[in-house]
Amino acid sequence: MSLLAPLFLLGLLGLAVPIIVHLTERQRRNVVDFPSLMFLRKIPFRSTQRRRIHHWALLSIRALALALLVAAFARPFLANTEVAIGSTLGPREVVVVLDRSYSLGYGNRWDRAKNQARQVFQGLDASDRASLVFMGRGAEALLRATSDRDRLLAALDTASLSADGTLYGPALKLAQTILEESQFPNREAVIISDFQRTGWKGDEGVTFPPGTVVTPVLISDDATPNATVASVTLRRDFFSGQERMTATARVVRRGGDAPADRTIMLEVDGQEVQTQFVRLDPTGSATVTFEPFTLSDLYTRGSIRLGSDALAQDNELHFVLSPGRAMRTLVLEGATPRPDASLYLRTTLEISEEESFQVDVRRSTSLSAADLAATDVVVLNDTRFPQGATADRLRGFVEAGGGLLLVLGERSAWQTGLDEFLPGRFGPARDHTRGAARLGYLDYTHPVFELFSGPRSGDFARARFFRSRDLEMGPEGRVLARFDDGSVALAERRLGEGYVLVWTSTMDAFWNDLAVQPVFLPFIHQMMRHLGGYRERVPWFTAGQVLDLADPEGMVFVADRDRELAPDVAQVALTPGGGSVALPATDGPRFLELEEQGFYEIRPPGTNPERPFAVAVNVDVTESELESMDPAELAAAVAPRETSGDLSASGELLTPDLQARNQERRQSLWRLLMVAALVLLLAETAISNWISRAATMRFEDGRSYVQST
Amino acid sequence: MAVRERSSFHGADTQFLDPAVLSRIGNLELLARTVVDGFLQGLHRSPHLGMSLEFAEHREYMPGDDIRRIDWRLFARTDRFYVKLFEAETAADFMVVLDISKSMSFGTHTVTKLDYARYLGAALSYFSQKQRDRVGIATFDHEIVDYIPPSTRHLQRILHTLVRAQPGRPGTLRDPLMRLGDNLHHRGIILILSDFYEEPESVIGAVRHLRARGHDVIVFHLLDPAELDFTYESAASFRDLESGTMVPIVPDELGDEYRALLAQHTAELERLFTGSRIDYTVLDTSKPLDYALFRYLSSREQMARVR
Repeated sequence: MSLLAPLFLLGLLGLAVPIIVHLTERQRRNVVDFPSLMFLRKIPFRSTQRRRIHHWALLSIRALALALLVAAFARPFLANTEVAIGSTLGPREVVVVLDRSYSLGYGNRWDRAKNQARQVFQGLDASDRASLVFMGRGAEALLRATSDRDRLLAALDTASLSADGTLYGPALKLAQTILEESQFPNREAVIISDFQRTGWKGDEGVTFPPGTVVTPVLISDDATPNATVASVTLRRDFFSGQERMTATARVVRRGGDAPADRTIMLEVDGQEVQTQFVRLDPTGSATVTFEPFTLSDLYTRGSIRLGSDALAQDNELHFVLSPGRAMRTLVLEGATPRPDASLYLRTTLEISEEESFQVDVRRSTSLSAADLAATDVVVLNDTRFPQGATADRLRGFVEAGGGLLLVLGERSAWQTGLDEFLPGRFGPARDHTRGAARLGYLDYTHPVFELFSGPRSGDFARARFFRSRDLEMGPEGRVLARFDDGSVALAERRLGEGYVLVWTSTMDAFWNDLAVQPVFLPFIHQMMRHLGGYRERVPWFTAGQVLDLADPEGMVFVADRDRELAPDVAQVALTPGGGSVALPATDGPRFLELEEQGFYEIRPPGTNPERPFAVAVNVDVTESELESMDPAELAAAVAPRETSGDLSASGELLTPDLQARNQERRQSLWRLLMVAALVLLLAETAISNWISRAATMRFEDGRSYVQST
Repeated sequence: MAVRERSSFHGADTQFLDPAVLSRIGNLELLARTVVDGFLQGLHRSPHLGMSLEFAEHREYMPGDDIRRIDWRLFARTDRFYVKLFEAETAADFMVVLDISKSMSFGTHTVTKLDYARYLGAALSYFSQKQRDRVGIATFDHEIVDYIPPSTRHLQRILHTLVRAQPGRPGTLRDPLMRLGDNLHHRGIILILSDFYEEPESVIGAVRHLRARGHDVIVFHLLDPAELDFTYESAASFRDLESGTMVPIVPDELGDEYRALLAQHTAELERLFTGSRIDYTVLDTSKPLDYALFRYLSSREQMARVR
């Protein structure tokens, strides 16, 4: 119940005035001078009598009448009568949008939300129809436009929380579709959610059809202290020839009144490795670094677990790690290279914290099949291009996904047939006569230079180029960098699954001084990673994501496709909850929906490999931010346009006709209050007259007695 | 019980004794003359009382009596000792002691208690002057405000003092009366006009001091009808005229007990005054002055007898 004119409630203060005046003995308006109060003071009883309220019933009636009058003027109205009223106007099409994102797992929110939905279903008439739509980051219509109340209630009973986040758009869009398809005159959308602000963008473009009553039901708590494992940073390093991982967890706490000590534990393959205590300030964060652990097996499963609180889902974060594989680089200098032609290149590749590069420098241009099989990237450093069978093997190597970097120098020479190999035709060496040339254009959209796209993330302009080879681009080539005179510095061509890069200057300090610039090392590393097809493994996915096991572009981030997920081999995925998802062999995509939090295990059916391919799934940490938005804001955004301006205090929206009737009905309380007040005043008049008459008779009796004395 | 005692005196023309009529007379001397002459004219009796050594009666000798007053002739005839009682002797000192405390300014009738006391004081002073008494006056509240010693020539000063007496301060009896007793060296008649808003023991303690010094004391207790009847109807805050304190009062609830307390107070005063051989009279200020004058004359008549 709400009030249209709540300021009138100030009138209730008037109730206290007569009582205060009565009790504080302050009757300044009626003062009688008397010679002496000597005798009157001897009657203390009278003073207390004076202060005592003799006619409680009369006072109560007066106070109640006044209170009712004040309440009537305050214009009370009922806020939640639309559903009940609507039910009397004909069959309804009700869509219950039930938020089952994991934030509803806070305390007993999920039970409360289901109870709210249950009440809606139980309030349905036989002619009404209802739909149950689950809301997460996606939407799912569990039951659609059914009058079977038992089915609705049963579906509700079996519903469970998801590990999903909140996104209002899909569910509301689905509800809109259901309502638009309905022929019923009365349509209602009941949105039961904790109304997290993080899931609302404001541009969902959902508008319910005209005549729809939107009833938001807020499931919330007064205070929502919550701690979350927000992220984990995993750093690789090598120690005594072993690869070690150091996990650093960032823990965020939102809400709370006082610092709290919590335990945080690192698990590896189900075994507790280390437990620490972390002190979390209210609305603060902390970083916890665990001791390094050795990473020796594929698909090693790790978890960070924080001590439990009201929302348990965001207290753990899982990851899957595999030992890193060094990228093998073969540098060919030719038979008579310049001294230290590959010094900078080799040194740069050897400087790597994670030992992610293996460098082999040869003074030869011969390449065997075995060499190429053990190589990811081949660098031809200022040498003649291989010919014959070697060139064919090299071409096959690149087309199979290998990488080739051609560094042009004095010894590089154009050969017939290179047109089909290189991005362009290179010419003779050319001195940059007007001083040194500098790199004037970089394609920051390319993976090689993407790392340097941000401000202060690499200054190529400091490098001076004194000599380079001209490169006349072919139709399939792509220029990645140019000198400031417009000539090509770096170009790329794709061959099959691999890439060929041509660098038109040397990789030492002879034709340029790039090798002594700070950007040289990351530039070479990026180039090698690109050519070698290196992809950083994704340690975990977020619940709600879909994995296409047949997509090599995607799977390169998580698994060794050749070994684990051959497309012609049927697979089965075991979910964290113990279920299984069949992934039969197919030529098309094989989608796996990552719906649950934990580890998904994917393997051929009937097999039990020691370490199967696994992916970790975590909840979306943005969902752990429990701040609620105003439900009325959402209701207003999705309301039918013609009634969007008429919101009740609870955010419910009505059609004009229904709204007018509801308003009249909801605001009619004041009449009842006024009638009740008048009845009380009449009763008060009668009672006070009776009391007054009785008192007068008593007084007159007293006077006559005195006079006769 | 002296409260609300009605006048039993009849025969006097009370037209000029009504306070409502007297309040229209601005000149206090004229007022006194009007009262006294009118009163005595109706009394048909000589105003000159105690003007000679006139024998009154005999009384049997009691131990302690002055042996000089033994009537030896009668002893010779009866062989018993009798003493002679005579009428009062010549001119006495008559002192009006007027309470002008703030409470005396109260009045719900046409006159206040102080006005009524003025009339009485003026009339009796005039009357005493006509009897060739020496008249004086003392006004007091918590101390003596004006003091005019008894003299046969002080009537005008007394009337003037009465006219300009203004109530304004709280009053007490003990200190002023004690001081007055110390100042009066000749025994005489002392008329005390007050409303006696003090405890009876305190009142009698103060007045008995005068009596102990040999003065004949006549006490007029002046009360307004509102004080006697307490006929207020509506609830109000009652303010003490002297202290200014206020008390919320519901007269309906308090009237009976107030009247009982007042009656108890006056009864106690009467008992104590009578025990000290002091004439005590409660006067309703709405009533004519005849009753007060009659009471005074009666008292004077009794005082004139020498025991």
